[in-house]
Amino acid sequence: MTSLIEPIQSKNPLGDDGILFVRNGSMFDTMVKTPLLVASMIIVAALLPIQSSFSSPRDLNLIIYPDGTTHVSMEIDIDPSLTDYELNLFGKTIDNFVVIGDEEFLLDVNIIDDSALIQTFGSSVISVEYDIYDLVSKQGKLWTFSLDSPTDFTLLLPINSAIVGMSNLPINMKLVDEQNQISLSSGKTEIDYFFSTSIVNNPVSEIKPEIDYFPYLIIIITILFISFGIIIFVRNKQKNLNPKESIQKSQKILILDIETIFTLKPNLREDDKEFVKFIFNNGGEALESELRKKFLQPRTTMWRAVKRLEREGIIEIEKKDLQNLVKLRKNMEQEQ
Amino acid sequence: MKKVALFAITILLFGTISPSLANHAYGQNDPSILLRIAVQADQQIVNQLNFKYGNQIPNNIEILYQKGHLSVQSLNESLSNDDIEKAKQDFLLAMNSFMQISRTISQSSEKITMTAIESDESDKKISNELDRLEKSVKMLEIISKKHNEIIQNQDKFDKVYSLIKEMRNQIVTGENLINNIIELRVLIDSIKNDIRESVAEKQSNNLKRFFEKLIDKIDQKVMEAKVLGRDEIEITKANDLIFEIRELLSQNEITKAKTVYSELKIVLQNIGISVKIT
Repeated sequence: MTSLIEPIQSKNPLGDDGILFVRNGSMFDTMVKTPLLVASMIIVAALLPIQSSFSSPRDLNLIIYPDGTTHVSMEIDIDPSLTDYELNLFGKTIDNFVVIGDEEFLLDVNIIDDSALIQTFGSSVISVEYDIYDLVSKQGKLWTFSLDSPTDFTLLLPINSAIVGMSNLPINMKLVDEQNQISLSSGKTEIDYFFSTSIVNNPVSEIKPEIDYFPYLIIIITILFISFGIIIFVRNKQKNLNPKESIQKSQKILILDIETIFTLKPNLREDDKEFVKFIFNNGGEALESELRKKFLQPRTTMWRAVKRLEREGIIEIEKKDLQNLVKLRKNMEQEQ
Repeated sequence: MKKVALFAITILLFGTISPSLANHAYGQNDPSILLRIAVQADQQIVNQLNFKYGNQIPNNIEILYQKGHLSVQSLNESLSNDDIEKAKQDFLLAMNSFMQISRTISQSSEKITMTAIESDESDKKISNELDRLEKSVKMLEIISKKHNEIIQNQDKFDKVYSLIKEMRNQIVTGENLINNIIELRVLIDSIKNDIRESVAEKQSNNLKRFFEKLIDKIDQKVMEAKVLGRDEIEITKANDLIFEIRELLSQNEITKAKTVYSELKIVLQNIGISVKIT
């Protein structure tokens, strides 16, 4: 049994009695196939809206006529691979039922009680229109509209009608041809209304819908998330860059150009100038060993040259991994 | 890679959840609508109470009204204070009180559904019926235009509009409209049939293509079911029906093919086959 603790990525074969050590940081990569997980998430995210969009009205509008009959018009997304679609109607007393499929074809329908079997045969969207008598009842002078809607809908009330009771909150209200049109959310809704001559000239005035900022907020948050992610990603990339490259970048800004150095130090030896040029072109720094290899100089000769340049104030020497790192000085001009 | 993957998952999760969040937010549009509806309901209830009881409003109704009215005032205050949640509660409380009052006022009358309204509402009903029929005809006219069949049906459309106009005049003069209503319905049905027939070829080509693709798929599934050793009698039935549908399709007998397909669906269910075109 080995006493060496190794990350599992090292892929060293374990003996029969081997113990598997897994670093916490590697758990995620090891136990979960990350690309597979991401791909699954993408598929789920893509399918969810499709799944929820099929077979439920994407647009439902109701008009109540003064006699209490309600006209229903809806658009439904249909799975185009199906031959027929069963639509639950809002009641049993139906009239003027028309279904139009793709390319404006009239589709065949079989209505049984409160269900309509529509032969869609490949249509992806159908629009359904019908009149129904079951949604409004009347007691004395009070009219009551009741509906358990599977989706949000709009309801156009008859002209001169005044709402006197409502079981849930309206989303919006506006005037359409002197009639109040209310937008309501899905679920059970009951609305009581009277007909009154006193409100002819006083319908609920049109209210311009206030912008709902919440979806925008979500979009902004998403953008911030993405930006944040990109920043982290870029930073990580930068961190992972060759340290030399990053040093090069920063030093290029600070060190003088080669001609200025030579102008400031006109008495430099030709071979020293070559060293300086190399260091400059190497991003302002080079290991002494790199210089030796480049110029094929013995260790002592190179050491003397470096010390010479240091005395001249052109370079400075730093220790890095037991080696001498030779760097061009940043503030050479000021010192001069 | 790990950080990028985690980030991608976070975004995906957020993207998946966000639509449901947006739905909840949808109900929070302009809250001043609530006040407008409640104030109008309050006024209407006062009118109804004055009309029904004058100065002698029963105590229970008076209490209910005060409750509703105070809720409207509270709604106004809540909106001024930007307390939307409280405003919603106030609105529902007010509308519930007014609903109870209006139902109590109307309690003595019999509750009727719209189909039963005949006598006092008959004129209004016929007028509304004409509105609805006219709406339906206009829709058929749009479909007809879309398929360039308007010329063929133009006479019928003209006749329908003329009849509707005539009937509106008859409502004013109080004439019996039953026969005209029947004639109008027959005309509309005739237009529908004309549209169906005129686009039948185009439509049947579409249906035929769809059907052929579907039947090929079913055929393949039935063969797989046979290999799996499913009920042989049902598989034979299915094959016969598939053959029959193909024959009918080759003769452009789409309607009959549809009927046979209904039988085939039952057989497929018995075999345990579910078919979808992909």
